[in-house]
Amino acid sequence: MSKLCTLWQREIAAYFLSPIAYLVMVSFLVLNGVGFWMLVMAFDGRTNDVSVMQIFFGSFFYWIGMLMAVPVITMRLFAEEKRLGTIETLMTAPVSDVVVVWSKFLGAATFFALLWLPTLSYSWLLNQFAAAPTPIDWGPVVMAYIGTMLVGFFYVSLGLMASSLTQNQIIAAIIGFVLIAIMFFLGFMINIGPAWLQSFFGYIGSIDHVRDFSRGQLDLRRVILYISATVFVLFCTQKIVESRKWR
Amino acid sequence: MIAVENLTKRYAGVTAVDNLSFTVKRGEIVGFLGPNGAGKSTTMRILSAFMPATSGKATVAGYDVFTQSEEVRRRIGYMPENNPLYLEMRVSEYLNYRAALKGVSSSKRKTRTDEVLERCGLKDVSRRIVGQLSKGYRQRVGLADSLVHDPDLLILDEPTIGLDPNQIRQVRQLIKDLGKRHTILLSTHILPEVEMTCSRVMIINKGKVVASDTPENLTKLIEGGGTVRAEIRGDRAVIERELGALPGVKNVVIEAGNDGFVCATVYAPPRNDVRVHIYEKAAANKWTLRELSRVRQTLEDVFVSITRVEAPPSKQEEEK
Repeated sequence: MSKLCTLWQREIAAYFLSPIAYLVMVSFLVLNGVGFWMLVMAFDGRTNDVSVMQIFFGSFFYWIGMLMAVPVITMRLFAEEKRLGTIETLMTAPVSDVVVVWSKFLGAATFFALLWLPTLSYSWLLNQFAAAPTPIDWGPVVMAYIGTMLVGFFYVSLGLMASSLTQNQIIAAIIGFVLIAIMFFLGFMINIGPAWLQSFFGYIGSIDHVRDFSRGQLDLRRVILYISATVFVLFCTQKIVESRKWR
Repeated sequence: MIAVENLTKRYAGVTAVDNLSFTVKRGEIVGFLGPNGAGKSTTMRILSAFMPATSGKATVAGYDVFTQSEEVRRRIGYMPENNPLYLEMRVSEYLNYRAALKGVSSSKRKTRTDEVLERCGLKDVSRRIVGQLSKGYRQRVGLADSLVHDPDLLILDEPTIGLDPNQIRQVRQLIKDLGKRHTILLSTHILPEVEMTCSRVMIINKGKVVASDTPENLTKLIEGGGTVRAEIRGDRAVIERELGALPGVKNVVIEAGNDGFVCATVYAPPRNDVRVHIYEKAAANKWTLRELSRVRQTLEDVFVSITRVEAPPSKQEEEK
């Protein structure tokens, strides 16, 4: 457990010791900030039956941020260690592969969560500067963040797996992006193909899930889906890391 | 400390380590010597539990490297080839992280890192960023890392590669000092290195141990004290004829110097000291004798003669 903690700390530190962290954070904030601002402008002076925050989660800018940020966060995790050769010093230390995989996942997931931290102010800002402040309905907002984290962590695990496949960070980022994009676009395919396929896509596509979460719906099936999918992908990653032993 | 039995490692189509067996006793400094692609790194990676062998058995301190790999990893300090480090970390930060990872308890971590910083001469640079250090210092950081949990066994893969002569000397001295407290297995293809640092040399070629002995014995093995070098002033043809006629001499090679002396290399079988005969011959013929010495063969000669059959550039090399 203490080793998991040591590795986790090192992963987080590694982000802030390279310029990538700052670059990702700034781009992410700009992107979401612009998106939020545009929504606020569009809603200005009108009466709506949905809140701005509900539209914000699931908006175009939200998804661009998710799809672009996660592969950039995860690309270095294993690829960099492999290229530098530090994978050898890491794996010959007395730690198990499971611990290494989970610490890398937790490190990236923590950084992903940190990205969202500044957006917590949006609800407060809305209320502060609205002409006629309405009390914030915290339920949907909290649910939206929970949903974002669940989906985001699953994407992080996909990115981590992509990184374990190669020693080239660019390739890792591309594979990661493709895997994540597939999960995202499945949500668009709910009108294609036979009925059973449509409903299958409906179950696993991410778009609807985030929308439902941001409406304040806690669908336990989806929580379980994302947690188990994340654990499964991490398990696969562990097997890929172990594969050096039997290849 | 190390026991290797019939170890074999095959990569797709290439046998990197071929039925290798050897043992290393506690307290030894063993040099693993061989041409590139001989299987040195592969063997070390197997011993450090980074990857398993195709077949065979290897134990470190009584623990099997495959089935009890965590126990093994706790007891070894491994420095891979090219000494990979996290370049963005500070030296003390890195060592502290590595100590934690290797299970040094938080109460002891500070003293352990201070101790290895001291021993590896890193005190002055402990606050510097690893990526900004010279290669020699980075090598010391790698060594410090392999030492930080005070392991029984150090496995160092080419610890002096890429260093300048001064740095090489420093690192060698460091390894020698470390040998007083740890068992060391190091690999190199630089011959003077093993001569200077190791108590035993294992020459490995194409995945097999071809010779294993002390550096002195290996040198004797080939040399046997037979070859003698003499610098004599006199008529070249006469010298060649006279020396060639000495008892036991197999061959004489004469090179003319530019100051009237000729340099004669006299080949005789081992345990046949022809120096006395040469001296007597010179005295009898009134030659001026400037030098008369036994040619000490170096490990290099041993190495070349043992691994002479040059392998075509193998895939193993590329895999490294």
